[in-house]
Amino acid sequence: MTAPGAPIGLELEVEQAQPMPLSGRLRCGPGELVALVGPSGAGKTSMMRVLAGLTRPEQGRVVVGQEVWCDTAQGIFVPPQRRHVGLVFQNYALMPHLSALGNVALSLLQLPLAERTAQARRWLEHVGLTQEQQSRRPSQLSGGQQQRVAVARALAREPKLMLLDEPFSAVDQMNRQGLYRLLADLRRELSVPIVLVTHDLNEARMLADRLVVMDAGQVLQQGSPASIHNAPRNARVADLVGIQNRYRGQWLGAIDDAAGYGRLLWMGADETTQAQILTVRDKGKIPSGQAVHWIIPSDGITLVDPSAPRLADGSDWDAQVLEARHLGEISLITLALGAVSGAQLLLTLSGPQRQGVNVGGTARVKMDLNRVHVMPMRPR
Amino acid sequence: MDWQALVLSLELAAVTLLVLLPAGLLLARWLAYTSFRGKSWVEALVVLPLVLPPTVLGYYLLVSLGGGSAIGRWMADTLGVRLTFNFLGLLIASVVFNIPFLVQPVQRAFEAIPRDLGEAAAVSGLNAWQTFWRVELPLAWPGILSAMVLTFVHTLGEFGVVLMVGGSIPGETKTIAISIYDRVQSFDLAGANQMALVLVLFSLVAVGASFFASARLAVRR
Repeated sequence: MTAPGAPIGLELEVEQAQPMPLSGRLRCGPGELVALVGPSGAGKTSMMRVLAGLTRPEQGRVVVGQEVWCDTAQGIFVPPQRRHVGLVFQNYALMPHLSALGNVALSLLQLPLAERTAQARRWLEHVGLTQEQQSRRPSQLSGGQQQRVAVARALAREPKLMLLDEPFSAVDQMNRQGLYRLLADLRRELSVPIVLVTHDLNEARMLADRLVVMDAGQVLQQGSPASIHNAPRNARVADLVGIQNRYRGQWLGAIDDAAGYGRLLWMGADETTQAQILTVRDKGKIPSGQAVHWIIPSDGITLVDPSAPRLADGSDWDAQVLEARHLGEISLITLALGAVSGAQLLLTLSGPQRQGVNVGGTARVKMDLNRVHVMPMRPR
Repeated sequence: MDWQALVLSLELAAVTLLVLLPAGLLLARWLAYTSFRGKSWVEALVVLPLVLPPTVLGYYLLVSLGGGSAIGRWMADTLGVRLTFNFLGLLIASVVFNIPFLVQPVQRAFEAIPRDLGEAAAVSGLNAWQTFWRVELPLAWPGILSAMVLTFVHTLGEFGVVLMVGGSIPGETKTIAISIYDRVQSFDLAGANQMALVLVLFSLVAVGASFFASARLAVRR
């Protein structure tokens, strides 16, 4: 709960069936950066449009700071003109007939002309555009420069909420680094909530304090990148955040003489092989016999020296190298576990560990079973 | 050279444009930005004057505006104004006849403006009027300009409707196109030739200049 009088940032609640399903809640504190992630069509941009006031939700509430921008229950809807949102559009949506300066000045129409121009100039200098570049039209600027103009236009609005819709998608890798720095600077100076829409998970993890995972118009989970990565709510979230080592199993229940631990039956692709039973952490939420998905983050898996003495706790496995893709500084390895039919482990190796990993060769892996996260399978 | 007819044609073209432009802009913008049931029928109605024979259009205008019609009688009785065989009648006919020439290109010009620009304008704080003046109009301007020139030149060359609704009263309804026809009928080919050439040159220059200006004005995206 926020203390009375404390800045509350952004609160969004939306529930609609038409024209596209959209439901979920979202919070973003002042100065916090929340990334909306999910596949295309997940409703990320629709969420953003609700926040900007470009779409009126069937049912919903948007509160920013002390202002209620939308409350369908009370018939409140503040149009975008009066919201003071800084929105950076996916393709920037700069006015092609105006110079960079003219584009920024458009956000400052309430000011007299001289002051408007002076302020627009200040914002453009702030994002690093030279005087000469300021007088160019968008078509005469590079993608990165256009994006800076779009950011300056958003900032000139003195936003109470900053929205960035896939802002880096049209910028090449070189320019992205500079723009990431710009965004980091922005965060330091703006103490308003910032919502970033992206389909690039690495970008989201790198930039955001919190992730909001969306799929098919629904908010599935939100939390810090690490917490979602380590404990996705369900198999879909695990897939969406790119967790590759996901398996099926059955929860066998708590272990009586080991509080906080339970037994997990690892089921292979084919029912006839001897199933493996793992001892993993138990949060006491899953009934015995429940079919489950479970994951292990790739940093919970390590290669073991083949000559090392075997561990007795059942976390030490023999494997065969199925695939090894060497990508510059890192290698992506796919292992087949002998003990569970069809089970494959994917891991990323770097440094000396990569030596001696060859397709067709054998390997020994250790799984940190404390990192195993179990999710009940939803009945279909 | 029938200077009187040329001046009358230029006057008619200018006043037609003056009357049609504001209404046409509104209609075109409305058709470009909204979708509703039966929109195709409204658009078909807009295009109709383009595909109908001018005599058919002229005939219906004559019948509906003439002294025998309800509108014609009412106008004559209450305001003392006749709507046929005078400049006013010609103007009404000319406006109707030019609707597709103005509305269609302007509608396309508005449609070509990316939607997100309007949204960016709204988020930047611009109200509908400011968005129209500062975003839509400058971007649609090349299309509007060519539509205006097309309408103007097209009015100069109008024949069938003018003859049906206006007749051929010198200084009142005898436009240059009708004057050319009269000269040909009376075997004055030299006079017809002179005026036809003026019309060809004027139209060519006007359309050519508008295309040139549109190309220069068109904003590269």
